[in-house]
Amino acid sequence: MENVDSVKAKAIRTGSRPRRRSSLWSQALQQLLKNKLAVSGLAVVMLVAIVCFAGPLFSPYTDNKINMALMNKPPSMQHWLGTDKLGRDVLTRVMQAGRISLTVGLASMVLSVFLGTLLGAVAGYYRGIVDQVIMRVADLLLTIPGLPLLFICGALLSDWKVPTDYRMYIVMLMLSLVNWPGLARMIRGQMLSLREREFMQAAVVLGLRDRRKLFYHLIPNLIPLIIVMATLNIGGAILSESVLSFFGLGVMPPTPTWGNMIDAANNMIDFQEHPWLWIPPGVSIFATVIAINVFGDGLRDVLDPKMKR
Amino acid sequence: MSVYLGKRLIYMTLILLAASLLIFSLYALTPGDFISGNIKLTPERKAELREIYGLNKPVLERYALWMKNALHGDLGYSLAQQKPVLTLFNEYLWNSFLLAAVSTFFTWVIAVMIGVISAYKQYSWFDTLVLVAVFAAMSLPSFFIGLFLIKIVAVDLKWLPPGGMLTTGSNATGWAYFTEVIHHMTLPVIVMTILGVGSLTRYFRSNMIDVIKQDYIRTARAKGLKEGKVLFSHALRNALLPAITLVGFELPALFGGSLIIEKIFNWPGIGQLYMSSFSLRDYPLLMGFTMLIAVLTVIGTLLSDLLYRLADPRVRLH
Amino acid sequence: MKRNRIAEVTAALLIGSLVLSACNGGGSGVESPAGKATAATTGNASGATADGNAASSGDTDGVILAADLSKLPNVAKQRTDMIIVGLTDPSGAFTPYFHQSGYDGNVSSLLYTPLVTVDDKGLPKAGLAESWDISEDQLTYTFHLRKDLKFSDGSPLTAEDVAFTWTLLHDKAYDGDAQLPTLSIEGGEAYKAGKADTVSGITVVDPLTISAKLQKPNAMALVILGGDVLSKAYYGKDYRFGQLDYIKKLHEKPLGNGPYVLEKFIPGQEVRYVANEHYYAGKPKAPRFIYKTSEGDTWQYLETGEVDYASFSATKENIDKLKRLGFVNILPYTPSTYGYLQLNLEHEPLKDKRVRQALTYGLDRQSIYVDANQGAGEVANVPASPISWAYTEEGTNPYPYDPVKANQLLDEAGWAKGPDGIREKDGKKLSIHFLGSKNAQIDTFIAVAKENFDAIGVEFTPEIFADFNALVSKVEGGDYDIASFSTPMLTDPSEGVLQFVDGEIKGYDNPKVKELYDRALSTTDIERRKAVYQELFQLLNDELPVIFTSYKKTVYAYNGRIQHLSVSPFTGLSSSLPNWELK
Repeated sequence: MENVDSVKAKAIRTGSRPRRRSSLWSQALQQLLKNKLAVSGLAVVMLVAIVCFAGPLFSPYTDNKINMALMNKPPSMQHWLGTDKLGRDVLTRVMQAGRISLTVGLASMVLSVFLGTLLGAVAGYYRGIVDQVIMRVADLLLTIPGLPLLFICGALLSDWKVPTDYRMYIVMLMLSLVNWPGLARMIRGQMLSLREREFMQAAVVLGLRDRRKLFYHLIPNLIPLIIVMATLNIGGAILSESVLSFFGLGVMPPTPTWGNMIDAANNMIDFQEHPWLWIPPGVSIFATVIAINVFGDGLRDVLDPKMKR
Repeated sequence: MSVYLGKRLIYMTLILLAASLLIFSLYALTPGDFISGNIKLTPERKAELREIYGLNKPVLERYALWMKNALHGDLGYSLAQQKPVLTLFNEYLWNSFLLAAVSTFFTWVIAVMIGVISAYKQYSWFDTLVLVAVFAAMSLPSFFIGLFLIKIVAVDLKWLPPGGMLTTGSNATGWAYFTEVIHHMTLPVIVMTILGVGSLTRYFRSNMIDVIKQDYIRTARAKGLKEGKVLFSHALRNALLPAITLVGFELPALFGGSLIIEKIFNWPGIGQLYMSSFSLRDYPLLMGFTMLIAVLTVIGTLLSDLLYRLADPRVRLH
Repeated sequence: MKRNRIAEVTAALLIGSLVLSACNGGGSGVESPAGKATAATTGNASGATADGNAASSGDTDGVILAADLSKLPNVAKQRTDMIIVGLTDPSGAFTPYFHQSGYDGNVSSLLYTPLVTVDDKGLPKAGLAESWDISEDQLTYTFHLRKDLKFSDGSPLTAEDVAFTWTLLHDKAYDGDAQLPTLSIEGGEAYKAGKADTVSGITVVDPLTISAKLQKPNAMALVILGGDVLSKAYYGKDYRFGQLDYIKKLHEKPLGNGPYVLEKFIPGQEVRYVANEHYYAGKPKAPRFIYKTSEGDTWQYLETGEVDYASFSATKENIDKLKRLGFVNILPYTPSTYGYLQLNLEHEPLKDKRVRQALTYGLDRQSIYVDANQGAGEVANVPASPISWAYTEEGTNPYPYDPVKANQLLDEAGWAKGPDGIREKDGKKLSIHFLGSKNAQIDTFIAVAKENFDAIGVEFTPEIFADFNALVSKVEGGDYDIASFSTPMLTDPSEGVLQFVDGEIKGYDNPKVKELYDRALSTTDIERRKAVYQELFQLLNDELPVIFTSYKKTVYAYNGRIQHLSVSPFTGLSSSLPNWELK
């Protein structure tokens, strides 16, 4: 009963949307700017990015020179965040690390969300044979264990002599290729339900084309879900870089990333005795993740067709 | 419906067949084999051993042999542990299941509760606090949370044991055994719950916000129903529906073991076993375990599709 | 595993979450490049010390005694009859010769005592065999068993059991890594091929005397033949040639003759032992002993008193922290292994000795292995550990870090600096492709080596592999210049130089090395062998078919109440454990 009511209400609202489509995005932007929390989230992300990309330019330690005499020193005037086990400046390394971690985190998130949404939406919309094919491929991919895949990938990239600097991006691409099934299933589920709602029946009656139905009527309804999923994944994506490094697929030392810097705390001694090794990268990841999520929430609020009041 | 189910079951079998071949080849192609890791062996002895284990045969032949035995219910002997694979599953799988089942239960209960409250009080201080906590948990690696709790709760405060499943050397049985296990599993369950609860909370919060804003909730309130009833019986039910599909996905996770947590807390689970078998390239065990998870994954997805239809009868799949 | 339910269900890195564990496993799962082989020595429990008597004699030679036993956690205080030691991952295959993991070897080393064991210097010492004779031609070995030896069930142990054990290892279905079948005992090949019912070279003289006749002399034969003894009545009951599967069923129910008897194995948790009352040297003092499965970092278990004994890298910070604990005795220890960088001698630049020497001079090994490790290491220059009886640095070049010398040698070898600062010869750049497997030190190595090699005009391109198996298969493919390895535990000095003569290091073929290797093995006279090894070490130290890197240094920390504890570099705990006593 409740469902029917809500769907009707929604159908009326959404059905009326295309007419004021021209101003939709600018309206959304205005609303977004009014949301202080979202704006501050965006500001933090930008700030982190600027510090990471521009910060090292002002650091005297960018060459990452090894200096055993300065091993594991706590924060001081010379080294604001202390030094690591090879006497390198932690602050400089955190900033340099941010460049890679931010890029990798965002890129891998965008890629898997894009693939997942596209395939899931198509499967859910067309159903039948399309759905069967996509979802059975998804099933197959879900059963594949990740470990051997990464090892094989590592061996192949090594045999093909792909420069280590590029390997990480290739692997990220590959991971997205095998990792879309989860999100796709979720999007498809939502889609299966949405396409049966009354507003879609109205769209059918109006004789709208598939593309129009898909992009103007269905996908906007999926946006809240997509944003939640995407922003939730960003933390995992940043950390996953350290996993790739572990398999020799990520960045090569001595290049720092937040993921491999925080891994330094993976033993009781460093964890207890040298907190300056793991606090900076930890806080950086935390700040980035929370800022992106806050921003995502704001974005969701203004883009969600159901939220317009 | 039964036609649909029948079709799906046929597809399932086909997928599992394809998956088994794919998985077998993946393991076979993984660089290194069971023999190569032992540097004490001379090249001649290595060749001899590969002959004994049949590792020198073509992949397809090995696969056919494995499949034949597997269809007869024989998953073979673990090369490293020299025990039947099924015996090993029995020794380790249930320990992992115990952790996963308990923490999944808590994860869902807590996520639903927090999700509902923070949706209801969107942008309140409670909501903000939850938000910060959730993201703190999500932006830290799990080993980190584990080590932190071990340091504080086990080493400094000595409230709980730092790891394992039993007090070393204990001969406890019955009730004493039960409490001992509970004692030891508390920390790992807490960590797993912390790790899992974050995203699920966000998910429920988001669903709940959607639902609360809808007209039938306004109607319910207008009817003069108590807020609690509106929230928990009208809104929650609808917010939970999309989550039903997640149940299917939990299935493989329940049996898959948790690699990091088991390692940090020394929990004798299948996740650790898988990891050590992988680094040794213990093919029979790897294959057996991965196929078990594959079967559960496929069943899980079927289950979630069926549940979806149950949750939303309007859905048609074909 | 990162159990982000939704995240897992949805798109992002399921694989990532799966493998994150491995990441944390860095410490133990894939730690030493020697993998399985060294597992026996790298377990938390097994291992050794340079001076085995240090602790027992109360000598202060290196041992730091517990300062304040009252700090001992209650858990440990309450234990009166039981000693607990951590062990990475025993799997349950406890039959000697048949286990696939070194950890199972640790377990079985307490269940079985070999005929001949080795002392703290790696020299043979009487075990179940009271004495032995070696014939003039060094081909026939005769062992005299002690009287009244018994298996732990009280059944007698005789020469028949020894003969059965030796024969069993010649079975064609035998899939373990025992060295005994490689000794070429007379008739061994025929037995393996199924052409004979017995191994003709094995003779049971009387119930207490057994001999084996070899086809060629081997200085290690005494220790190899003098291994563990399996009961014929128990393990031989169902034996048929070519069929060894039945033994798998007995792995978890071993029948031994060592100081302890297996009481219970709880997979993934504990191996419980009780003292063996039939042990030839008398029932061990501690009635119960437990190996507790504990992977990776064991600080928390030692600090809470859950284990009595743990090993740590000998870094200054670790030692300071152990001292602060107050209730542990700290025993320094150097394993019998050495680390090295394998060089691909089939690659043109590395065929030149001067280049190999230049790379050694140009690599700051002191910084990498000693300083960055806070003293938990020592620079190596010969293929033997300082604890070995054959160890000597006399007449060897220590190759101190000297970029000037390195540059000079490279100039001499014809590698001139190109416009980009990288050396070239005949239009080819001097580029070093390094392979390593992931471990705690690899980051340090790569960071320092990159800087070092940069300074001498050598391009350095590192690659990391996630585990030892993957690394080995890449190295076997030959596509590398340098790869980082460590040897497994070395009992006899010949094991440390074996790789230079058996073709393991491809492209290295020096008849002089082979001759010295054989000469050192052709005699059992220690002094004569020492002299030969000194010559061999000097030669290898000059030729550098591999770059010797480091010796590890660790410390054992144990409950201050335990007395008479020592660790042998070659047999681990097993030789001193029967004497351990809780005060």
